[in-house]
Amino acid sequence: MDSGGRFRFPSVLAVAVALAGCGADPARSFQYDPVEYHGARYLAVALVAGIVLAAWVLVRALRRRVGGAHFGALVVTSLVMLPLLSLATGMLLVFQRAERVEFCASCHRTMSAYVDDMQDPGSRGLAAIHYRNRYIPHNQCYECHTSAGMFGTIEAKLGGIVDVFKYYTGTYDVPLRMRSPYPNADCLKCHAESALWLARAEHVAAREALFTERIKCMDCHGAANPAHPVGPDGGKP
Amino acid sequence: MSVHFSSRAARRGLIASSSLTLAALLMGLAFVVHTTGGTLFLFATVAPVLVVAAIVILAAVALHEFRGQHKLFEIEYYDPGEAVFRQGDAGECAYFVRDGEVEVVKVAEGKETVVAKLGKGQYFGEMALLSNEPRNATVRTSAPTELATLGKTNFLALLSVLPSTQEDIMKTIRTRAMRMAGVPESEARRSRMSRLPAPPPAGAGESAPATPDVPGRRDGPPPEG
Repeated sequence: MDSGGRFRFPSVLAVAVALAGCGADPARSFQYDPVEYHGARYLAVALVAGIVLAAWVLVRALRRRVGGAHFGALVVTSLVMLPLLSLATGMLLVFQRAERVEFCASCHRTMSAYVDDMQDPGSRGLAAIHYRNRYIPHNQCYECHTSAGMFGTIEAKLGGIVDVFKYYTGTYDVPLRMRSPYPNADCLKCHAESALWLARAEHVAAREALFTERIKCMDCHGAANPAHPVGPDGGKP
Repeated sequence: MSVHFSSRAARRGLIASSSLTLAALLMGLAFVVHTTGGTLFLFATVAPVLVVAAIVILAAVALHEFRGQHKLFEIEYYDPGEAVFRQGDAGECAYFVRDGEVEVVKVAEGKETVVAKLGKGQYFGEMALLSNEPRNATVRTSAPTELATLGKTNFLALLSVLPSTQEDIMKTIRTRAMRMAGVPESEARRSRMSRLPAPPPAGAGESAPATPDVPGRRDGPPPEG
């Protein structure tokens, strides 16, 4: 069957790519992340297969060879199923990767100074102290800049999309400012009631005020150890 | 449901849809290989829009093709000089002249030759449906014309349930093929009386050769109409 023969090439290629992507054994480590590991591979396989098949459809359409018994299946697979599968898998990975420090740092003009300070072993900033002591093992920017719970995540992602848009359209202002004062809840989600936190008499005395945001954490900590000691020009203040 | 992307509009839609999909998938690949704010933004916001647009175009094309193949005597009006279809187009439906006149034009080496004129009560466009090949002539109107269209699926169904219609259409195809081959009308009539072709198998119009015994068929397709 002629049309079947023409269809065989991309089918075999797609299956081969899929097997190659899924056959590898995950190099497990204590930092093994199944979403990242499998998500990236499945997405890559779906994307490559989709690109090959969509290009095949395009070539056949340009050559006016749009008939054949399997052409409808080829069209649906390449232009509907694989793109939708890619988007569904991709969004998981988008959410996952948008939490990485490297992702935040990719907005060089605005974020590099903050990330550099955080990773500076000599910095006295709160972010740097958390980073070098590994108080937060992964996604250090994200962990402190998102509120607890599902809505905190959604709020952070939406805010991030707006930030990326502003960055690439150049519609941001420097020096950068927080959208709203840093909420105590974002500190207390980790520190509250911890032994170290309770060991400080000031915390215990101001407990209710801190929990209700009548006193801000940054009122005390911001002056001695600003979160990010970065000047308006990106250098040390 | 089987949809064929055979018409010019469908092919263009398919090209647009596959191009948009390719762009979206390439954005995805860029994101996977190198995640930055830019690649993530494109994949998370622009790519879904492109994929949805591609699917909408594809659905519109499929619907258009499906409706074209399932037309049931829809009435179309044409101004004089307007092309009903062109030589090389895919065949989606047969046409019945309700009023006006059309001329069948054969184009060869850039030169147009009017091979027939059809008026009220006559039909054309059936040969591409039976042979499953592109239109072998251009048909354009020479007067304000009213046509009834019958989609390919319904046309083939009509043939399978009405044997007399089959015979009539096969006679017409034979006559036109012989006229195209330069056989005189009287000879064509005699041949028609003595050698009626066997009707195509019921419901097998997709693959059955339409006029296996038509003279001139091997040298070149007969005029559409």
